[in-house]
Amino acid sequence: MEPDAQLVQRCLRGEGLAWEELVRRHARRVYNLCCRFTGNSSEAEDLSQEVFLRIYRTLASYRTAYGGFPTWLTSVTRNLLIDHYRRTRHDRVTDSLEDVMPKVEEKHSPVRTPDKAALASELSAQVQSALSRLSPDLREAVILRDLQGLEYNEIQEVLSVPQGTVKSRINRGRIELARVLEEMGLRPE
Amino acid sequence: MTWTCVQIEERLSDYLDGLLPDAEQREFRAHVDACPQCAPLLAQVAHVIGRLHTLEPEPAPTALVSKILDQTLGPRKAKHDWFGWLPMLWQPRFAMGTVTVLATLLIIFQATGVRRSDITAASLNPVNIFHSADRHAHLAFARGVKFVNDLRVVYEIQSRLQPANNPAPNSSEPPVPSEQKSPNESQRDHSAIGNFTFVASLLTDASTRSPR
Repeated sequence: MEPDAQLVQRCLRGEGLAWEELVRRHARRVYNLCCRFTGNSSEAEDLSQEVFLRIYRTLASYRTAYGGFPTWLTSVTRNLLIDHYRRTRHDRVTDSLEDVMPKVEEKHSPVRTPDKAALASELSAQVQSALSRLSPDLREAVILRDLQGLEYNEIQEVLSVPQGTVKSRINRGRIELARVLEEMGLRPE
Repeated sequence: MTWTCVQIEERLSDYLDGLLPDAEQREFRAHVDACPQCAPLLAQVAHVIGRLHTLEPEPAPTALVSKILDQTLGPRKAKHDWFGWLPMLWQPRFAMGTVTVLATLLIIFQATGVRRSDITAASLNPVNIFHSADRHAHLAFARGVKFVNDLRVVYEIQSRLQPANNPAPNSSEPPVPSEQKSPNESQRDHSAIGNFTFVASLLTDASTRSPR
């Protein structure tokens, strides 16, 4: 597989096929990050388009010294998500926990015998709901670490904060998430 | 060193990610094993992280890549594949239909006497097709008119000749010698000559009236 840095160089030479390959390679990752952060697939799709539009316009500013292309892409995505969060903070109506609890209990009904895919889907919905209750700082740290699988130093690059802050945010985010999920009924067997 | 619950909470992720030195790892474990508050917290966080790692990434919408490419590279032209319809010919339904149509055309050509050598590229010109159809229609109409006229003449002739050819036989009268013709017989001869003259005039008339 051709390295991302090489594809970027070909893009800068005006090769549309190289850009298409970059988009196909990273679209799912960017979409997932947006989806987990916003909790809304439609918003995530719009934001993913915005991310790639921004990447396309600023591709010439990418230097390999910044780290890998995925790290740079994640950093751009994260900045855009934070901008989006600040822009829509006043419009957003946060659901109360009571609104979520009945749905979760309903899903835990012993009458249902869901298969593996349904269980995964249920867990995904629970995690999504719990993530939306975390502050943006903690949410993005947990998403980058535990859902996107980034290393601490990569997260440090993406968030542009000291490593101690990264560790602290990940730790507090995990504990907060665990407490919210416990309230929603997700406990170790 | 004896760790407090606050310290345990602060180092929870370090412990779970294996970032603590061995000595601290042991002290952490010792506190958690003895603490009724920290043990369930550690278990719950470990459980949640484990579940997070099992989550599959959500599939991106199918149109996402196309939308991104349209926004960045501009709307792309649809690829024109002139021979893209060829695989359709291999479908059994289409092949059956084609064979049926060809067989029907073959039967029609055989029945109408059209030979393949008669069909040229010019024959397929719509103007030529129209002229040919028009000519054939007129010829068919003229033949029909002529046939009807001829029939009328034949019936006229038949009706005129009927009394002359089939005289009413009279067995009571004795046969008359040919030298001595009766006045009735000579009148009948005159009538036959008149009939022939009339037929001749009718044929002339019919021939002048009949179309080409």
